[in-house]
Amino acid sequence: MSPTTAMYVAQAIHGLAYGMLLFLVSSGLTMIFGMMGILNIAHASFYMLAGYFCYTVINMTGNFWLSLLFAPVLAGITGVLVERFLLRKVHVRGHLAELLITVGIMLVILEGVKVFWGTESLMIRMPKGLDGLLTIAGMVYPVYRLFIIGLSFVILGIMALILFKTRLGKIVRAAVSDADMVSALGINTPLVFMLVFGIGTWLAGVAGVAAAPLLTVFPGMADQMGMDAFVVVVVGGFGSLLGAFVVALCLGELNAYGIQFIPRLAPVLMFAFMAIVLSFKPTGFFGERE
Amino acid sequence: MNILETENICHDFKGLVALFRVNLQVADGERHAIIGPNGAGKTTLFNVVTGTFPPSNGRVFFKGKDVTGWKPYHLTRFGMGRSFQITSTFSRLTAFQNIRMAILSKRGIRFNLFNRVDNMREVTEETDEVLRRIHLDGERDVPASLLSYGKHRSLEVSLALATDPELVMLDEPTAGMSRDETHHAVELIRRLTEGKTMVIIEHDMDVVFSLADRITVLHHGEILATGTPDEIREDQAIKDAYLGELEASDAA
Amino acid sequence: MRMSWKNWIPWVVILIVVVFYPVVTDIYYTNIFVGFAIFALYAVTLNLLLGYNGLLSFGHAMFFGTGAYATALVLTHIPGFPLLPSILVGGLAAAVMALIVTPLLVRVSGTAFAMLTLAFGQLMFVLALKFREVTGGEDGVGGYPIPPLKIPGVASISMTDATNFYYFAVAVTALCLWLLWHYTKTPFGSLVVGVRDNAMRVDFLGLTVRHIRAINLIVSGTFAGIAGAMFALFQDLVSTVGVLDIFNSFSPIMMAYVGGVGSYFGPIIGSGILALLEDLTRQYTERVELVNGLVFILAVLYAPMGVVGLLDAAKTKWFSKSVEKANVERLS
Repeated sequence: MSPTTAMYVAQAIHGLAYGMLLFLVSSGLTMIFGMMGILNIAHASFYMLAGYFCYTVINMTGNFWLSLLFAPVLAGITGVLVERFLLRKVHVRGHLAELLITVGIMLVILEGVKVFWGTESLMIRMPKGLDGLLTIAGMVYPVYRLFIIGLSFVILGIMALILFKTRLGKIVRAAVSDADMVSALGINTPLVFMLVFGIGTWLAGVAGVAAAPLLTVFPGMADQMGMDAFVVVVVGGFGSLLGAFVVALCLGELNAYGIQFIPRLAPVLMFAFMAIVLSFKPTGFFGERE
Repeated sequence: MNILETENICHDFKGLVALFRVNLQVADGERHAIIGPNGAGKTTLFNVVTGTFPPSNGRVFFKGKDVTGWKPYHLTRFGMGRSFQITSTFSRLTAFQNIRMAILSKRGIRFNLFNRVDNMREVTEETDEVLRRIHLDGERDVPASLLSYGKHRSLEVSLALATDPELVMLDEPTAGMSRDETHHAVELIRRLTEGKTMVIIEHDMDVVFSLADRITVLHHGEILATGTPDEIREDQAIKDAYLGELEASDAA
Repeated sequence: MRMSWKNWIPWVVILIVVVFYPVVTDIYYTNIFVGFAIFALYAVTLNLLLGYNGLLSFGHAMFFGTGAYATALVLTHIPGFPLLPSILVGGLAAAVMALIVTPLLVRVSGTAFAMLTLAFGQLMFVLALKFREVTGGEDGVGGYPIPPLKIPGVASISMTDATNFYYFAVAVTALCLWLLWHYTKTPFGSLVVGVRDNAMRVDFLGLTVRHIRAINLIVSGTFAGIAGAMFALFQDLVSTVGVLDIFNSFSPIMMAYVGGVGSYFGPIIGSGILALLEDLTRQYTERVELVNGLVFILAVLYAPMGVVGLLDAAKTKWFSKSVEKANVERLS
């Protein structure tokens, strides 16, 4: 394979890795919106929070895998607490209040991590075995990015299994589609809300831990991811997992190639597209709920 | 001349036919009632005529002009007014502020960024006059959402009338009202629509027969019959099928 | 309007306080007041969208930032550019920005509006970062000359003096606040509130909702730009982080909300409260935004109509038997 093709392929893999992480984050965001009607402005904060938890777990145990296990769960628990004690209180007052409180939550988390972990970037070493390079067909890839892709697909597979093959999954899918109907059927919707919010933030947390060794952990970690996640959810359709998947991957590739070839145009394109979708088809390409 | 005419109006919602070949004629100055069981398409017909959405097929003529597809604000400026079955006022504003909004529109005061609206004496006087006529002058400064149901409905109906339209479309104005409230409402409507053409959707047959010059019966989206109250009353088929049904549901 | 002399008392008191304030305090507190005034104006313009029109904008910084950059750039590149026109340039640039984005913005409301304004705001932020040759990127544009206030034939008052600038800034923002207050009291102002409460009904009353929303947006954006222009004059430095980042869009929201979105003066009060809070917090920690965020969350949970709302509720409890009055619309 020629060097240029190799470069293109490498970019494609970079884009895929970021796209999968983006999908993990966006899937939770879109499910939460689909089910509860809340656009969780603080969603990416859980992605970042898990990165910080990961740093602490590694400090305590020296083991990346343990942090991959526990940090996202901690982020998910934080999410559940936020839903139970903050979001639920304002739910009755409508979407505006919910939107606003998520803004407040985002600020508190963002500043809160600075209080506990400082403002400096925190390095997280890649786990042994994943920090090398892999040679396939004469090309060299960083193993870690392949790991990210692999991990994301595994998580994706597990979620798909749960969502489509279990009764719980059926309830969640129904609730994402029409929460009122599900409530009318006698199902404990507050519990489902809490569950979905927790899982959504857990997914964001997994992405955060996976990204941590690559991006380092710092307070601005969630900025790009957060904005991209909004674009994905808006364009892909509120409540649509398929839409989130398609758009996340596209966005990942756009970012990867865009940085190389059209560094100034790429973000403009992205926001312009988002603006057009919002103005003319606010439910997004695949979505149904407004 | 017919102030309002619909020509073969058809409308369907994703395959569900709501209206089929509706040809309505309302003469100038007429009081026309549209009756029919729930789901007959009455409100859909109103929506098509008042511009909420255009019909899938067919045309609407208002004052001799083809107004099919015109937006609500355009039709209102051209002389149409509409009230809603579900009360739709400016809930956080007072009765006074509600009516004033209509008066401002009627007087063409739309993009005035210069005067203080509270100082515009003529607007205030006209608004107070309207409130007097609809017996809401006592609730002038009460937020609409805190008005009693009957008074809130009065406000709703008078928002449709305050722009001084030539054609008034009232969708179940007496919905949910007690006997007394209905009686007052009918008197109010009769007084306020003098000199105007009125089309009213109603379930209360007493109201229909006391107000209407002509009645159209709608069923499954089609016009079953049109005629004077006596003609409709005499029509055995309608009587059997619908009036009984209507009177029964009215008593419920 | 009946004007009893009693109505004037609070304003006279405020006038006296404002006039003598810099005399009795030092430069540090004088500057805090200037910051408060500028952000009070900024927060009021946001409330024209939020409280008056029911629209939550996550990108209001696009107007503030455009105004700030326009003023800074014109003062950097055109030597001798005078003071008042530099402010007007800022306002004009923001107005142009508003004219460009309004056609898309009037088509949506609710969450979609919030997202769209977020997108525009972020877009401006990224563009300013990328086009460093114009905007200086993260470093921004700074050190430009601050022109004096020239009163022809009478005096030339230096604006680099903190006290002078204080009086100038307070006068300008007070004028803008008065103009906007008047704007809310016009017939058009009441239409804006009508659209907030029931856009469909406004349509059926014969009014064009989109046009109403558009003009309100443009007025709001223009004056936000003027606030930005004042900021540029105040700081002598305009950078992306200072005027265009997302926190610059969140802060007027917090100010408006804490003070009370249901009244004209709410955002002004909110701006004052947050300014005082920030000063207090800074003495103990750098985490000012954390305290702001917590206060904001508390406001959303327990005081949705802000400080003004709490005062209204207290007033009703103690002075009036009618609970109804507590919900009276203050905005029109």
